[in-house]
Amino acid sequence: MKRAADQAARAARLCAIFAGALVVLASSRAAGAQSPPQIDVQTDEPVAAVGDRVHVQATASSPEAMPGNPQLGPTPGFVVRGQTASPSQVVTFNNGSLTHGYTLTVDWVLEAQRVGTFQIGPPSFALGATRYSGRSVSLRVAPPGSAPRRRAPARPQSPFSFSPFDPWRNLFPDLSPPEPPPQAPVTIDPKLSLDAPRASDVFVHATVDKTSAVVGEEVLYNVYQYTETSLVGQTQSGDDHVPQVADFVKQSLLPDGPDRPTVGFASIGGKTWQVVALQRWALFPLRAGDLEITPLTENIAFALQRGMVARSSETLHVRVSDPPLSGRPPGYAQGQVGHFVLKAEVNPRSLQQGGAIEVRVELSGTGNLPTRLSPPAMEGVEWMAPEVHDSLGPNGQGHYGGQRTFDFLVHVNRAGSVDLGELTLPYFDPDPKRYEVARAALGVVRVAPSDAPKADAPASAERLPGLPPPRDALVNRPRTQKHLADSPVFWLGAVAGWPMALGVAVGGDAVLRRIARAWRRRRTSPAAELRDRIALARTAYDGSDARQVDAAIVRVLEAAAVANAGINVRGALGDEVVRRLEGAGVAHDAAASVAALLRECEQARFAPEAADLAAARDRWGRAERTIRMLERRG
Amino acid sequence: MRLPVNFVRVRRSTVRVAATIAAVGTALGVQARASALPPVAADSESSTLFASGAKALHEGRAGDAVDLFEALADRGVVDAAASYDRGMAYAMRVRIGAEQGGDLGRAAQGFEEARELSRDSHLIDDASRALTTVRSEVARRRLRAGQPADVESGRTIARALAGVVPEDGWAIVCVVASMAFSVGLFLRWVGRTTRLRVAGGVSAGVAAPALTLAVAMTLASRHDRLELREAVVVSPSARPTDERGIALPGATSLPEGALVEVIDERGDSTRVRFGASDEWIASSAVRALAK
Repeated sequence: MKRAADQAARAARLCAIFAGALVVLASSRAAGAQSPPQIDVQTDEPVAAVGDRVHVQATASSPEAMPGNPQLGPTPGFVVRGQTASPSQVVTFNNGSLTHGYTLTVDWVLEAQRVGTFQIGPPSFALGATRYSGRSVSLRVAPPGSAPRRRAPARPQSPFSFSPFDPWRNLFPDLSPPEPPPQAPVTIDPKLSLDAPRASDVFVHATVDKTSAVVGEEVLYNVYQYTETSLVGQTQSGDDHVPQVADFVKQSLLPDGPDRPTVGFASIGGKTWQVVALQRWALFPLRAGDLEITPLTENIAFALQRGMVARSSETLHVRVSDPPLSGRPPGYAQGQVGHFVLKAEVNPRSLQQGGAIEVRVELSGTGNLPTRLSPPAMEGVEWMAPEVHDSLGPNGQGHYGGQRTFDFLVHVNRAGSVDLGELTLPYFDPDPKRYEVARAALGVVRVAPSDAPKADAPASAERLPGLPPPRDALVNRPRTQKHLADSPVFWLGAVAGWPMALGVAVGGDAVLRRIARAWRRRRTSPAAELRDRIALARTAYDGSDARQVDAAIVRVLEAAAVANAGINVRGALGDEVVRRLEGAGVAHDAAASVAALLRECEQARFAPEAADLAAARDRWGRAERTIRMLERRG
Repeated sequence: MRLPVNFVRVRRSTVRVAATIAAVGTALGVQARASALPPVAADSESSTLFASGAKALHEGRAGDAVDLFEALADRGVVDAAASYDRGMAYAMRVRIGAEQGGDLGRAAQGFEEARELSRDSHLIDDASRALTTVRSEVARRRLRAGQPADVESGRTIARALAGVVPEDGWAIVCVVASMAFSVGLFLRWVGRTTRLRVAGGVSAGVAAPALTLAVAMTLASRHDRLELREAVVVSPSARPTDERGIALPGATSLPEGALVEVIDERGDSTRVRFGASDEWIASSAVRALAK
């Protein structure tokens, strides 16, 4: 009986458990079909200025399925600039039961377009065949620059420390970007301000503290990243392209490591910008000229946007000149610019000949400290190469400098009191713009003579034996001296003059000979003879001697026959004259006229009675016409 | 018929005119030499620097002497004695055991420059002697290091011939040869006797090649004076590089103190000719000779 009662009680408990399980199962099924997702809507700023960007974030969580198809809804006064969806799924096994959690977080980036108060949303999600909406948010848009300073966007957090959808949240370290600390009120540094921002969100800006310098003078080069304060903590810098400064010696003034110090805040274009130092270098120009510093390029990733943007700084130029020649002290080496101090310590002050002392020289100051010093070289004192220790870096004023120590070992091979002289370091101080000389007196060391044979003594004698003596006076020869070959007068006059003169002589002689020959030929030609005789005949015509006129006419006719017909009629008479002339192609009339005139002239010349001048002049007239007839033939 | 011009007289006049042209031309040409710039005295500051340097040299303060003579060079003072003493200062620094890298080369550069600048045979002789001493030391060191001991490359025959006589000497030879050539031809032309004509022909025949040679040597000397840029290697390790300044593997460094011809300069590299080799080296490894 009791056993039966126990069995009945056990069966009743099993039935109750089974029934309970059925009730739970049935109730969960019913709930799954009808429960809406939990939708949470947040915004980072309730107030924004025109042009600002605002984030609206909606999170939909469901234990049954992943919410989908998110829609923001109406966005009056704003334009949607971006949307990012982040789905997540959590599976929890607790006390033998398996629980699923599905969450979809959507972030919309809105840009304010006009002033006013606007209701955004409500955002909605689809779950199964049903769409569920959250609450709308109210955003106020103020005029540009008048919105209150924006705080960093808050990460959506569960109101409880434990979330049933993400129970592991507090178990593992958070690998997402750290949340920016709450910002304290910032102080604007006017020195960091610019006329206008170089970009609307993040940009890089480079500066130098001077645009002209001398070779070796420190030029402070800074590169800053300006981040609009609402984006602080939401950007991540990628690889930088470091500026090229091949014409400079570069010394970094920032501590090693990835940390980039914030140097302050700037107000530019009505916005507040956080300024971070990316690079800070002390640059020392190596040569004169217009030296270029290439831009720094930084790749920047935004937390809520895909991809990266590249931001570059400006290309800068520095005009570099040589320090002035005037007043430059001996021993000055190019690049020794800054402000230096020398200290020297000699130890010991007494030694044996051939022994060594230590000279410790401390060079300190600002600027690019020289890497070597020229010790006062003198006979019998041999300076070994020093051991150098540096302690250099940025000083309190942000300049490069520090201390460099040179430990010399000096062999003294002379006995007696040896004055080591003084160490000098000439440098150009860029502040007063004048040369200075840093000095450190080394003092005197007492060297006891050594009895030991001088092992090192021959070394100096072996080096460069037989050098001639130095000179004690400048030559003062002119630097630029004219040379004969530089003068065209030398080449044309002294060298080419003689052959040219010979050429003039020979050529002139040849020309003169040719002229004389031509002249002579011209003077002895039949035509010239004819012109001469005509002239004489005219002279006779004007006289009073008729016989002379006739004789002249005869000579003219004879010359005309030679000149125009090539025939000599001298000694010929009558028909013989006509025959010769006709044989030469002269017309009969002309030939007959010549013959007649010759005959008449001969008769008149040798007639016993007195000569008739008028008749002779008449014959000259006829003779002229006859000559023209002969010329026409010619 | 009697001619209106006395051609014999005209011919004589022509010869006289030609002779006058030649004489005036020669006088003007030589005048170019006579009008050389007068000597310019160094300013008092430079003279003081030189005197201080010479004093330091006498007192064995080689480092100070180097600084003082370099300061003189920085002021643009180009003087054979200053270059010579600068070379002496570097040589003394080597001699007293305070040598710094490149001292031998800088000493050689000073002596080479003094030889180039000086017209004083004593100074030239002393500079040559000192140069030989310095280069012997360089050769000895290179030999010890297993490197070729040639420090001097030697000059080409034409350049050596041109250097036998100074440029103005060649120029005077040009004038004399030109005159002899012209007079010889003149005698050959107007000589009445066979003896005179032969003498003129021989004179012209000898003078013509002499004139050609003298003109060539004068032009070569002038070209060298104006165009040739020489420098001395002042680095103990002047390693040949390519045009970008990257050291050539296995190349032998140029000897310190060697006289090289500068052919080209690009950035920090200088192309030099040393003997038959034609190399790029760092510009800081050579120092040019002042002219």
